[in-house]
Amino acid sequence: MALNPFFLQGSSSEQFLMQDLINEQLKIYGIDVYYLPRKILNLDDVLREAETSKFDDSFLIEAYLDNYEGYAPGSDIMSKFGLRLKNEINLIISKERFEDFIGPFISGLNQGLVDKTLTGFETLLAKRPSEGDLIFFPLGERLFEIKKVEFEKPFYQLGKNYVFELQCELYEYENEVIDTTIDVVDNTVEDEGYITTLNLSPSTNTNAEATASIGDGIVSRIILNNDGYDYTSEPTVTISAPTIGITATAVAITTSVGNANSLESIVITNAGSGYATTNPPTINISGGGGVGAAATAVVSNSGVRLLTMDEEGSEYYLTPTVTIDGPVGLGETATARTVLNDGKVTLQIVNAGFGYTEAPSVNISAASNVSAAGTFLYNETVTGSLSGTTAVVRSFEVLRGPGISTENPPRTLRVAINSGQFSAGETITGSESSAVYVLKSYDNNSYEDSYDENEEFEIEADSILDFTEKNPFGEY
Amino acid sequence: MLGTYFYHEIIRKTIIGFGTLFNDIYIRHQNKDGSIADETKVGLSYGPTQKFIAKIQQQSDLNKSIAITLPRMSFEMSGIQYDPSRKTSVTKTFKTNDANDNIQKVYMPVPYNISFELSIYAKLSDDALQIIEQILPYFQPSFNLTIDLVDSIGEKKDVPVVMDNIELQDDYEGDFSTRRALIYTLRFTAKTYIFGPISDSTEGLIRKVQVDIYTDTDTKNAKREMRYTATPDPITANPGDNYGFDEDWEFLGDSKSYSPTQQLDI
Repeated sequence: MALNPFFLQGSSSEQFLMQDLINEQLKIYGIDVYYLPRKILNLDDVLREAETSKFDDSFLIEAYLDNYEGYAPGSDIMSKFGLRLKNEINLIISKERFEDFIGPFISGLNQGLVDKTLTGFETLLAKRPSEGDLIFFPLGERLFEIKKVEFEKPFYQLGKNYVFELQCELYEYENEVIDTTIDVVDNTVEDEGYITTLNLSPSTNTNAEATASIGDGIVSRIILNNDGYDYTSEPTVTISAPTIGITATAVAITTSVGNANSLESIVITNAGSGYATTNPPTINISGGGGVGAAATAVVSNSGVRLLTMDEEGSEYYLTPTVTIDGPVGLGETATARTVLNDGKVTLQIVNAGFGYTEAPSVNISAASNVSAAGTFLYNETVTGSLSGTTAVVRSFEVLRGPGISTENPPRTLRVAINSGQFSAGETITGSESSAVYVLKSYDNNSYEDSYDENEEFEIEADSILDFTEKNPFGEY
Repeated sequence: MLGTYFYHEIIRKTIIGFGTLFNDIYIRHQNKDGSIADETKVGLSYGPTQKFIAKIQQQSDLNKSIAITLPRMSFEMSGIQYDPSRKTSVTKTFKTNDANDNIQKVYMPVPYNISFELSIYAKLSDDALQIIEQILPYFQPSFNLTIDLVDSIGEKKDVPVVMDNIELQDDYEGDFSTRRALIYTLRFTAKTYIFGPISDSTEGLIRKVQVDIYTDTDTKNAKREMRYTATPDPITANPGDNYGFDEDWEFLGDSKSYSPTQQLDI
């Protein structure tokens, strides 16, 4: 027997006393910090990286700050990527307190990292703090990541270790969800990362309404005999005048496939009157940068001569559909198309039909079936109805200011951690608040990250670069 | 000797052209079920900056709560070298029109190679690989940018951007006091052209060509037989216009010769 049997090298009662004294000292001289365990949502088994993580639990624990002289000098580094903060802290927490009050709650989390059976975030290292977990440090409201957990310092006093030393460095953020329900913790990343802006509709909109008038000797449709080529903009369409009557007007619609530009169709804005069915007018197409287009007009009686907008509507973000009631008895139903401009609707006649004895009804689909209402909550998930894109809410603002309607102001929703791109006209719904709004426009420029120059380069380059075909890297 | 002020912003435009190649790159992360968890546009900036601007832009709130947001890309111009392989005659000039149709005389540009370093800083190796894979296929090993280098004369030049090499730095070894740093550095060379001063041409546009034809090469003693003149039709046509020519043959048969200075037959 090597040790002297007449002396105790640390009895359990001495060890308990030591632990209690340390716990008491930490409660007197420490500060309260939040411990945020990492939940790994997806682990790349090949490259061995936590591809997605979230931090949605928090545990308050007292810790002694071992940086009595503050952060090391020179912690703010100017790098080629901009400012990089390398602030480090060492925190000392009680081993017993951690094992009793935090360990049981996170037991099993990330255990899959060890036994390689990770099946989701229901996996954790317990018993000890983990590297990769976060500490919210209230002095300065900063997030630190644990780089190393030192558990043998001081080295086995009375045969046991009593504290963990957490060596931490300021957190490098990349789209992780931090949703602990403690505002001061969650707000640390409110303005960080890739944040995009959803411009939402006001809560009310107006539906478009139109009436039709009918007439004889009208240009009922225009047949495009040759769609021409190189029409980069809409050419002017001129219809010859009748002997007596109103001259019909029409506009051309262009289309393009790849680099080929041609006319898609010619639609009527006013079908005129006084034309003879046996002597249709001539169609002249000029301008637009192209050549070769040719069209002929068809004249009919008892067709829709004009579609008059009684109400242009407001807050239309998706092109609405329009139908015109058919004639009573024999005839052909008129068809029209809608044109959207700044949320307002106008109509153009595609085919004026024939056989109408009275003016038919014009039916334009509603601006939105959604009753926009509610207030989105921080960190809740929102979903786009058409794109299926999800994102996490960072802020929801009601716009106020000169020239903005106070009764019906537009709203702005800032979101992060998007699963894709949103599209205008879809409905945005909050998962917790059930707030619902229609998306007016989507801005995928990173919000408030004034250091990024993605947009600035694009604006400058537009005037000096010649991507005659297309920028293969994509247009910003 | 030097001192005629001119600044075409050619190097600045080359920087913009280079930067715009990489300003729309996204990365994605997946959930366990394969669905997309998040999609992020990778921030890009020109690295060199005044320090106070970087500090104000990135730490306007003194209590910045995190170290940095990732991934990020940064690039900088790292050198300018003369490229003798693209050298042209130093006295060669060409004429072109400015926006007001005034004729400008321009010396042939001087070929210079501008070196760029594009750095990619990612938190995950997979993030960096996603970015790299979206860049590499376009460089075989060069990608042509057509840049309007001198806007006053509308001189568009093809500037090949050649990828020279890729360097990978992944500091994952060592003790736990330092964090893993994952940085890819891609080096490029942009083969651009530097233009000198551009001046109004005193020579003007040639609007008439006149050729006197002699019976012998000894023009002092030989008899002048014919004169050929050609003028654009219309005479007011500019180089970019659609115009024809008026040609005229005149039989002279005299012993005079044409004086260019007096513009007379003497």
